[in-house]
Amino acid sequence: MARPEEHRQTERSLTMSRAMVEAIAHEMREDDAVFYMGEDVADYGGIFDSTEGLLDEFGRDRIMDVPISETAYIGAAVGAAQGGMRPIAELMFVDFFGVGMDQIYNQMAKNTYMSGGALSVPMVLTAAVGGTYNDAAQHSQTLYGTFAHLPGMKVVVPSTAYDAKGLLHTAIRDDDPVVYLFHKRLMGIGWLPAPDGPKTGVPEEAYTIPFGRADIKREGADATVVTLGLHVHRALAAADSLADDGIDAEVIDLRTLAPLDIETIRDSVAKTGRLVVVDEDYRSYGLTGEIIAGVAEGDLAALDAVERVALPDVPIPYARPMENEVIPDTDDITAAIRRVRSDE
Amino acid sequence: MLGVTELQDMYETMVMARHYEERLQEEYLEGKQPAFDISAGPIPGELHLAAGHEASGVGVCHHLRAEDSVTAPHRPHHIAIAKGVDLKAMTAEIFGRETGLSGGKGGHMHLFDPDVNFACSGIIAEGCPPAVGAGLDAKKRNADDVAVAFLGEGAIDQGAFLESLNLASVQNLPVVFVIEDNDWAISMPKERVTDVTNGAQRAAGFDLPGTRVDADDVIAISDAATDAIGRARDGNGPSLLEVQVHRRMGHFMGDAEGYRPDADKDAATRRDAIERLETKLRANDIDDETFDELRSRARDRVEEAIEWAKEQPEPEPSAAYEDVFSSPPSEEPERAPSVADTGGED
Amino acid sequence: MSSNTPRVAVETADVWPEDSDENEGVVVNWFTSEGTRVDEGDPLCEFQVEKVSVDVPAPVSGILDEIALDEDDEFEKGETIAWIRRE
Ligand SMILES: Cc1ncc(C[n+]2csc(CCOP(=O)(O)OP(=O)(O)O)c2C)c(N)n1
Ligand SMILES: [Mg+2]
Repeated sequence: MARPEEHRQTERSLTMSRAMVEAIAHEMREDDAVFYMGEDVADYGGIFDSTEGLLDEFGRDRIMDVPISETAYIGAAVGAAQGGMRPIAELMFVDFFGVGMDQIYNQMAKNTYMSGGALSVPMVLTAAVGGTYNDAAQHSQTLYGTFAHLPGMKVVVPSTAYDAKGLLHTAIRDDDPVVYLFHKRLMGIGWLPAPDGPKTGVPEEAYTIPFGRADIKREGADATVVTLGLHVHRALAAADSLADDGIDAEVIDLRTLAPLDIETIRDSVAKTGRLVVVDEDYRSYGLTGEIIAGVAEGDLAALDAVERVALPDVPIPYARPMENEVIPDTDDITAAIRRVRSDE
Repeated sequence: MLGVTELQDMYETMVMARHYEERLQEEYLEGKQPAFDISAGPIPGELHLAAGHEASGVGVCHHLRAEDSVTAPHRPHHIAIAKGVDLKAMTAEIFGRETGLSGGKGGHMHLFDPDVNFACSGIIAEGCPPAVGAGLDAKKRNADDVAVAFLGEGAIDQGAFLESLNLASVQNLPVVFVIEDNDWAISMPKERVTDVTNGAQRAAGFDLPGTRVDADDVIAISDAATDAIGRARDGNGPSLLEVQVHRRMGHFMGDAEGYRPDADKDAATRRDAIERLETKLRANDIDDETFDELRSRARDRVEEAIEWAKEQPEPEPSAAYEDVFSSPPSEEPERAPSVADTGGED
Repeated sequence: MSSNTPRVAVETADVWPEDSDENEGVVVNWFTSEGTRVDEGDPLCEFQVEKVSVDVPAPVSGILDEIALDEDDEFEKGETIAWIRRE
């Protein structure tokens, strides 16, 4: 299928949740093997609107409410996928992955390899991620690095409605397990207001965005900011505020963590010499270190200065002043960009 | 058999738990109208209120001592109140204040009060294994303390619950599992997702006693709890208890319950365990004056706690870095024995 | 587009959540912008009453002439939130 030009303007703009639902509905109409399982995905339409309206069109056989048994239904998705179905299984909050983790990382992610390629696991595991609304330590994590660390799953993190739809089409059509992590704060839900940015023009027809291709959301010559999810928008806000001071930051949205588009980042750093990596996941052993290492391996000499901005290694606290302290905000990113520019 | 004084105590605690939820609802909605922004107002984040669950918390915890352990799920306030958790500190925690139970780190789904051995988890059924551990601890200490795990009927399909039943059973531990059946797991009615309508049936597969209390009645619940807790205390092992309760305020605040038939909502409001107990007490010649006294005492305690909590300072941002460990790595003592330990010198 | 064809008001009363006692709503998302062609039934915007979100469909086909209430604006049930000019 022809892929419409990215960021093509349409007259219609959609929230991220509506763009996702459109992709799911399209794939379900095209392919009877696609179905959706999760808690509160039928009548409720997903706690974060990920399946809003789908029950009406597809009925309970294909939009399946399942028991609170993450091990069983995620594992059932694995088995059904191996049998030829194309299930989408939803974890209501990514924080609940622990309950079904064996099915995720020992079965879903490894069966293709352990079978020597004799079988494939064409499923999507969707999950809501992220904090910023005081839901505390068990309901606010992103865990990006956890999934990206373990081999055998492709990991997708959209930041706009346009990307969300195209990446979800790609995910459902992919013959391998894809973990699709959507940030609650970006969905465009009335009770969880999104920043400006995730609501974009979205073509009505289906289109795919290939995995492993980062997107330069803002071009700039003075510093490279690499990030994902909600923090794409915070980084863009930081870049805008610095533009008044004559600092021109480039903002790269990773979009997929596995596969990772390290080339786009290396090219950008070759140009700017300064790298800031921003993550809403924990700092240690995670995405920030990985990106910086990937750049250093490519061309150590290209790096004049590096900063990482991430959650400190503490569980996410409930109370506002503390949650605000640990989750990187626009000012934290602005300050980090200034620091990598401080010898200029 | 419960005496009238005990019933009055239970009534007062139930009224307190109900009033607490009604007042938190008001506080929570402040700053969230007309636009419901979950992160706005004096209490941000999700809030799961337990109005309609009082008979369970009170009927069970009435038979517990401070040394007995309780784990509660994401809907914990009525259980915490009945277990004797410090009401002021708990309220300050819910308001995210420095003097809250956890200094504002936990919030309403994660209330911890070691003084009365109370803990929570917001992850469905994950409070069960630690309750088994509390039972194991009691057994190892040769104490007659018991542990109670509360869970919703939606949690009985989780491995953590089923594995806990087996471990408690095979080790003959003093644990009571209490299923609060309010018929709903968010938008999912139990018939849609669970194979049995009576969760107590799960007990049979683990060779332990299972009882269901059909009526949302604190006296019946208390009777069943007396047996189960007594069995545990006497060293006769775990039991499973399911009690019928009702969800009066939606799954969480702001839940419009579009998925729930009106008749079901109405029925939940009509079957009120507090009114039921009131009728019983009136039959025992408790007069209006006594009721007024019980109610105003309950309400005053709630008001006092909320007022106090709202005056408490917010935590410093830097407090976020504290408490990850009880012995932070940097403060770990030297490993090498000191001169004194070697007995070399005084 | 002729500017003397009549304008049709876009209102919310028809789609207001049935069992809500609340008379105030908030516009949360616009899906289209002024000057855009819309077909009858297209979702124009979404508003929120308490925690419930409701879509507002275009009452007629035409050009979205004026958005009277922007995102985050609060309004009373019955207020006009936009105007469509029939073509
Ligand atoms: C492992 C896990 N899965 C899903 C959730 C999301 N969740 C929170 S409450 C809830 C429903 C629980 O229903 P029930 O156990 O019956 O308790 P109730 O809310 O009715 O009191 C769900 C699915 C969770 N917290 N943890
Ligand atoms: Mg329930």
